[in-house]
Amino acid sequence: MNPFFKYFSGIFTALGSLIGGLRVTWRELWRKKVTMQYPENRDTLQISDRWRSELYMPHDENNEHACTACGICMINCPNGTITVTSNMVENEEGRKKRVLDKHIWDYGMCTFCNICVITCPSDAIFFNNDFEGAMFDRSKLVHTLNKPGSKLREKKKNLPPTPLKGEKGATISPPKKQETQQGIDDKKVS
Amino acid sequence: MSNIQDIILNAVPEALIEEKQKLTVTVEPKQLHPLVKALYENKDLPFDYLISLIGMDWEDKLGVIYLFSSSKDMSQEIAVITATEDRENPLLYSITDMYEAAHLNEREVYAMLGIRFINNPDMRRFLLDGDWNGYPLCKDYDADPTLNPITIANKEITDLAPRIMEDENGNLVESVANIFDEDDYIINIGPQHPSTHGVMHFRTALNGEVVKKIDVNSGYIHRGIEKMCETMTYPQILHLTDRLDYLSAGMNRHALCMCIEKAAEIEVPMRAEYIRVIMDELNRISSHLLAWAAHCNDLGATTAFVYGVREREHVLDIFDKTCGGRLIINQNVVGGVMFDIYPDFQKDVKAFIPYMREKLVEYDDFFSHNPIALNRMVNVGNMSREDAITYAVTGPAGRGSGFSCDVRIHKPYSLYEKVEFKEVIRTEGDSYARYMNRLDEIEQSLHIIEQLIDDIPEGEILAKVKPIIRLPEGQYYQSVEAGKGEFAVFIESKGDKFPYRVKFRSPSLAAVSVMPLICKDELLTDFIGIGGSMDYVIPDIDR
Amino acid sequence: MKQPLELTGLISNLHTFFRSNLTPFWATVIEGALVLIAVLAAYAIIALALIYIERKITAFFQSRLGPNRLGKYGWIQSVADLIKILIKEIIHINKVDKVLFYAAPFFVIVSSVLTFGIIPFGQGLQAVDFNIGIVYILAVSSIGIIGVLLAGWSSNNKYSMIGAMRSGAQFISYELSAGFALMTVVVLSGTMQVSEIVESQRYAWNVFNGHIPAMIAFVIYLISGHAETNRGPFDLPEAEGELTAGYHTEYSGLQFGFFYLAEYLNMFIIAAIATTVFLGGWMPIQVQGWDGFNQVMWYIPSYVWFFAKTGVLIFFSLWVRWSFPRLRIDLLLNLEWKYLLPINLVNIIVMVVVVLLGWTLEDLFPIFRP
Repeated sequence: MNPFFKYFSGIFTALGSLIGGLRVTWRELWRKKVTMQYPENRDTLQISDRWRSELYMPHDENNEHACTACGICMINCPNGTITVTSNMVENEEGRKKRVLDKHIWDYGMCTFCNICVITCPSDAIFFNNDFEGAMFDRSKLVHTLNKPGSKLREKKKNLPPTPLKGEKGATISPPKKQETQQGIDDKKVS
Repeated sequence: MSNIQDIILNAVPEALIEEKQKLTVTVEPKQLHPLVKALYENKDLPFDYLISLIGMDWEDKLGVIYLFSSSKDMSQEIAVITATEDRENPLLYSITDMYEAAHLNEREVYAMLGIRFINNPDMRRFLLDGDWNGYPLCKDYDADPTLNPITIANKEITDLAPRIMEDENGNLVESVANIFDEDDYIINIGPQHPSTHGVMHFRTALNGEVVKKIDVNSGYIHRGIEKMCETMTYPQILHLTDRLDYLSAGMNRHALCMCIEKAAEIEVPMRAEYIRVIMDELNRISSHLLAWAAHCNDLGATTAFVYGVREREHVLDIFDKTCGGRLIINQNVVGGVMFDIYPDFQKDVKAFIPYMREKLVEYDDFFSHNPIALNRMVNVGNMSREDAITYAVTGPAGRGSGFSCDVRIHKPYSLYEKVEFKEVIRTEGDSYARYMNRLDEIEQSLHIIEQLIDDIPEGEILAKVKPIIRLPEGQYYQSVEAGKGEFAVFIESKGDKFPYRVKFRSPSLAAVSVMPLICKDELLTDFIGIGGSMDYVIPDIDR
Repeated sequence: MKQPLELTGLISNLHTFFRSNLTPFWATVIEGALVLIAVLAAYAIIALALIYIERKITAFFQSRLGPNRLGKYGWIQSVADLIKILIKEIIHINKVDKVLFYAAPFFVIVSSVLTFGIIPFGQGLQAVDFNIGIVYILAVSSIGIIGVLLAGWSSNNKYSMIGAMRSGAQFISYELSAGFALMTVVVLSGTMQVSEIVESQRYAWNVFNGHIPAMIAFVIYLISGHAETNRGPFDLPEAEGELTAGYHTEYSGLQFGFFYLAEYLNMFIIAAIATTVFLGGWMPIQVQGWDGFNQVMWYIPSYVWFFAKTGVLIFFSLWVRWSFPRLRIDLLLNLEWKYLLPINLVNIIVMVVVVLLGWTLEDLFPIFRP
């Protein structure tokens, strides 16, 4: 090709493909924007129900949970996020039994690997969807999962349907908005 | 294999050859170099690709396991073991004269185990500071924090490289060499720099704006994952693999799971295999999309970055719905997958495939033919096939240089034998070949997903696995094709529930180690662009 | 023709008021001060508006929404940014060349304000109007590069140094093209006075009047103008991906603010000069003989015309900026020395021929003659 022709054809092919690029951005200008407006969209926000946010221990209406304080979650946790403390309590039949004192989970340490949930033999802990866990103080990231005064659910009772492993939160609903709101208020007070 | 055994015995008659998971050859340190040379120079099947170089502490001995493969036939692998009993001043012979990839690996072994390599021209520690006390991967390492206190004091980086060279008479001579010339204009690209894709530190000597020499300095986010693995059970280790190359989290984890499953002889249910492969390919798409986006951003097209991330978001949404994680997806576990697919999974994935294809066309219009972009990529950062092999650069970058290195084809695992797809190879070896390879691989991944998505079989997602997994004594290897290249896992087990030693091969380390070569005599601007085209992830290097 | 929204009446009233009540000396001083205040205020307001507009349009190109937190659609955002930058600490760096380091931002901003002064925003809205206006534009806009070079040199930072050196090479090269493109128009309109250039475009804008050579000059002016102002895809001196922030890496607070303001204003100035010289400036669209139509067009005040035309060019600049990757320094110089400059040289000769042979639209069709 003669260089003179090449010089000008180069200019025009370059211009052509530049215009191709401009066309893409031009189309994009009129498209619907993809970013979401948080927190305005809080009410319509779709969080997938498997989303792992905070570890929690479901309690039923009698303030009873399923944790037997066996400590398997604590042993399995790769980075010591979970601490389970238990007391030995003598029951009516005179046998000593391990009773959960505190199930402590450190939000700041957790890598959300889900091992604790899948290894729990009594399906006592799950991850919920409440992703708004930011705090101003690290110490507030340490959660005690069992509620005060709660106790182990007796085996005899009709068990409430527990969610399948891996589909946590499907039947037991995560803490509702009100709780979250309250949590935020608490933070403000302190 | 008998042919190879002959070659080995010809070179080193005393070599101990064992047929384990891989053909394993054990030799004395003195004989290592002749043996490797024989393997390297073997005409029919040259073992010219160093997959990994694994420093080992067997308590009585300190040694190295070399895992070699051939660029002619990647399925042929051979493990060479050598060890020294001298724990005070362990010395082994370097293979850097044949394998460029050995440079940084040997330096890492020195930092981690204190083994120094004779004839390696630059025996500084890699990943760790020069004044670090102790060798972390040694079994007798003292992890007392007072020995290596955290300091905020300013540390000077020394430009002196100690080395031990063997002279003609076989005497060892220690010397110190300068890395840079006296009057070099050195500029620090990193550790805090917008375009190093993490806390990477390239000390760059410039001649005007032309790159003269680069010194790679890494380890700013070294977390000692390999050491941590030694005190964790196998299921616990899994979550660490996601944190190596976080963009290929699912694929890395797949490798470790397969390695453990092979060793413990666990059969993975078919449904789980399907889910694994689909997730892997989605993961690859997301990794390549981010690589594309970041590469464009490095070339100054910020808008392209947003577009890439926009499409990646769709993949992440699928991950999020499947396993509750977006980046660190925690999907694979030993024996299967942690989460079954959700009811709309197939629908979502099938909707994503045409959407992604449409966007690939858009990317082509937007960037692939842009004359500025072409000028910035074509014939820039040339890496020949030989360079790619000797630096062990795999993945889209290696294939951009014509090195056929797709693990999915050469060492098929999981379902990859069943699906039909093309290995994307270009021979130009420039930034543009690497760039186009990624876009084409997205298309191939979509093609693989298309073949699998409709026939996911019903059934279990998890095989029966003992609550405590113990691997039988032995050495286990497994490679997968991660987003950046060949990701390999090595486990040595002593029959415990903890591994004795775990080593991850990092594809990004190879990509970074070749940077000084391909950036030489390019402009500083192109150095950034080439970095984008190599697509390395720093946590993968630092481990 | 009725022009109820024009500011000419107000200005002449003020002028007669000052002249009749004060000595000529004090009248001049007060008028000068008022003009100064008006120019500086316009400078700041236009910069703030541009920052907001750029962020918004950029976001729309990138499937985002842009600033939307402060005020409706985030319109107070750039005011907040201004306040932030005013109260930010200026970090004093030990190893810089103090005098040059602190002087550099002033060079940049002064050059940009001086150029700003000659822009005719509307009928009678022009601070200075020399008979060699075009030469003045070329002269004062080149002062900015001194500031950039000084900033890079005095920062004692290798990134800054590389950025500044790139900037020098880039500016000197593209100054040529921009100058030649403007000269092409000077040939066409036969004057260097900005107000006369605008006046001569009453019925045919220069870009149409000079047809092919004028359009080529227009495109070249836009390209080289953007290259001069260091805006993408010619933002090599800053190149945030390579040189972190190039020549202004070490600057903070208000000093950085000066560079920032000047950058945005220069974008405006380039668009404004292109409007004035090629697109008829503040002149409304008029057709000879269509009196009704012309009357309607004149109702729209001249400054609205000016800002509308400038706005289109600014939008185009943003569109290009956010669509293309950054050039490399050798490509940049190639573009100038192998393409723009030779084309420009030929173009100016073509323009001379067109003018001499009477092939301009005005010469060919009497309807375009004023």
